[in-house]
Amino acid sequence: MQWTRKDLSLYIKEKEYIDTLIIPLIPFNPASDSNVTKEAFQRELNQLFTHLLEKEYRGRIIVSPEYDYITGSNETEVHRINQWVERFQSQPLSHVFLFTFDPKWKKWEQALKGQLLWVPSMNERDLHSSETKSFVKEQVSQISELIKAYW
Amino acid sequence: MSDKQRVSRRQFLNYTLTGVGGFMAAGMLAPMVRFAIDPVLKPSAAGDFQSVASVDEITNEPQRFEWIVEQVDGWYESEVQKTAWVYRTEDDEIVALSPICTHLGCTVDWASQEEYPDQFYCPCHAGRYTKDGVNVPGTPPTAPLPLFDHKVEEGMLYLGQEQDR
Ligand code: FES
Repeated sequence: MQWTRKDLSLYIKEKEYIDTLIIPLIPFNPASDSNVTKEAFQRELNQLFTHLLEKEYRGRIIVSPEYDYITGSNETEVHRINQWVERFQSQPLSHVFLFTFDPKWKKWEQALKGQLLWVPSMNERDLHSSETKSFVKEQVSQISELIKAYW
Repeated sequence: MSDKQRVSRRQFLNYTLTGVGGFMAAGMLAPMVRFAIDPVLKPSAAGDFQSVASVDEITNEPQRFEWIVEQVDGWYESEVQKTAWVYRTEDDEIVALSPICTHLGCTVDWASQEEYPDQFYCPCHAGRYTKDGVNVPGTPPTAPLPLFDHKVEEGMLYLGQEQDR
């Protein structure tokens, strides 16, 4: 389900069936010309992944509003992310996944209250090429296997 | 106390002004917006058939076929990927089922569960459907999988709208 009025009103009614949440973690540094396009690409890629997961499992997974932060501020963000996670868990949403391409989270994995799903990013390229599509599909199906292992 | 009142009076004014401004803006925009959106509101896409597969690819075993349609969803026009489970019955009829679970909308798989090798299975809450798309009683779905309208022309299978059953 998406974070929309329509989907969430269904969620409220069918809570017992929906127990999984994905929070996209998205770094960006608007002051860095050398990184903005790369980071924007990673944001698009993140949206694509969560969109595909949502489409396939929308009866059990909600995608949260994205969590944006300034690149490199991971340590100081841990506390605020955990606040998000706790609020979602109180719904209850028992499986909270933090989905990101930012490798810096690996270092803080233990401190995070949600389950980190870190996937290595790919180089900037056209997201619509058929080669990219099949690569993304393959990765998405692996991530969904991982999520299903928690169900 | 008086301080509080002053703040609330100011807020009140603010709200009122925003309200009036909002109305004015809406009044000015409405005719233009209607003009801009009108063409896409025509029932153009409805009933359109898309070529999905060559008829010789279709076997007795359901296979997943994908195609792209243009979709107008309120404000946005977008390309949406559609999927169908397609097979041929014993009587040589082509069946094209929507893969969207009628419970809460997950995507169902054919024969993905060892215990149910000839059923559609929904990974979200273990919903099941027999090969003809009818929901198995006692599992969460309460309606069969929708069927796509279909036609065959020059050896190609064309799929249209899905129909609830
Ligand atoms: S969405 Fe398929 S069984 Fe619930």
